[in-house]
Amino acid sequence: MFIEKPVPEAMVSPGVPKLLQEGYYVKFTNAWPAEFSSISGKLFQIAETNVVPHDIHHIIPTNDFRDVDLSNSAGGENLYPENVNTLNEVVLGFKPGNYLAQVYIPAGEALSRLEQASMFPDVTNVVTRYLGQRTPTDSPYDDKRIFMYFVRNLEPIIFRMFVDTGIDFEKVVIGAMVNKCRLSLITQPTPDQERLAKIIRYYSELRW
Amino acid sequence: MPSLTQTMVAVGLVTQFAAEKPNAKIIPSLIMVNNVLGAQDAVITVQDVFTPAASNGTPAPVLTTQSRLNINVSMAACVSIRDELKDIEILGLLQLLIGVADANCIVTVAWNFE
Repeated sequence: MFIEKPVPEAMVSPGVPKLLQEGYYVKFTNAWPAEFSSISGKLFQIAETNVVPHDIHHIIPTNDFRDVDLSNSAGGENLYPENVNTLNEVVLGFKPGNYLAQVYIPAGEALSRLEQASMFPDVTNVVTRYLGQRTPTDSPYDDKRIFMYFVRNLEPIIFRMFVDTGIDFEKVVIGAMVNKCRLSLITQPTPDQERLAKIIRYYSELRW
Repeated sequence: MPSLTQTMVAVGLVTQFAAEKPNAKIIPSLIMVNNVLGAQDAVITVQDVFTPAASNGTPAPVLTTQSRLNINVSMAACVSIRDELKDIEILGLLQLLIGVADANCIVTVAWNFE
């Protein structure tokens, strides 16, 4: 449910749409837990899409951070769907600035960490502050590369926006494109549909 | 790009030029100070005014004013600054502060959003 796409090595023609489109297939892995039984292991076709751009902005002092919760929790940015048959494909990019993001899902659980026990991101630690960082260069505002897939009641995903030292304040601008996708269940998918489907993994599968 | 010309006579000595655009920074691209008829040297400070978001270290932020550039223009002079501005970023509202209010000191500011 979290993908950071690399810079393409080649161009293809005709171009491939960046976002999920009407008629595309998506499949949720079996790792989605019981509370997501309506989607876990199932294959859907996208019946309709609607792209909704949105900007999130905060001015933050140097060497300080703010947690940006993308979920519908109190104080969150409310980018999650409310309906069970809606999948929100959210693409994020950052305007230039002296800041970085550390990603947590759920709160307190870093998305990116290494196997050695001390190698988890911590913005208060000058050594591990940059571990797993996502910067404006990694996902520019005009060429967004961070893709996330949200369903109703998914645990909150937190972007810890940290303004690095060497500046007094920084304006953090996160550009979000929310591709609302209405899902239509395919009860008996064919092998071709299975092969074409975009696999959407549960966050626990991203950390191994 | 937007621009605005104003005389530096504001009460409190600050003159606002550009309101904050929440999802962008203001990048000044031109400052022209016409002090040809000025009564004294004009000492002008470019200020950035904003209220930061609540953050981990500052849960209750307050209105903040940061000086970004200082210009001293002699009497009977007219100065235009363009290249020197390319690295100046204004996070909030763009305003100019003058040392002594002067109806004959005329300032033009142009800016872009980034």
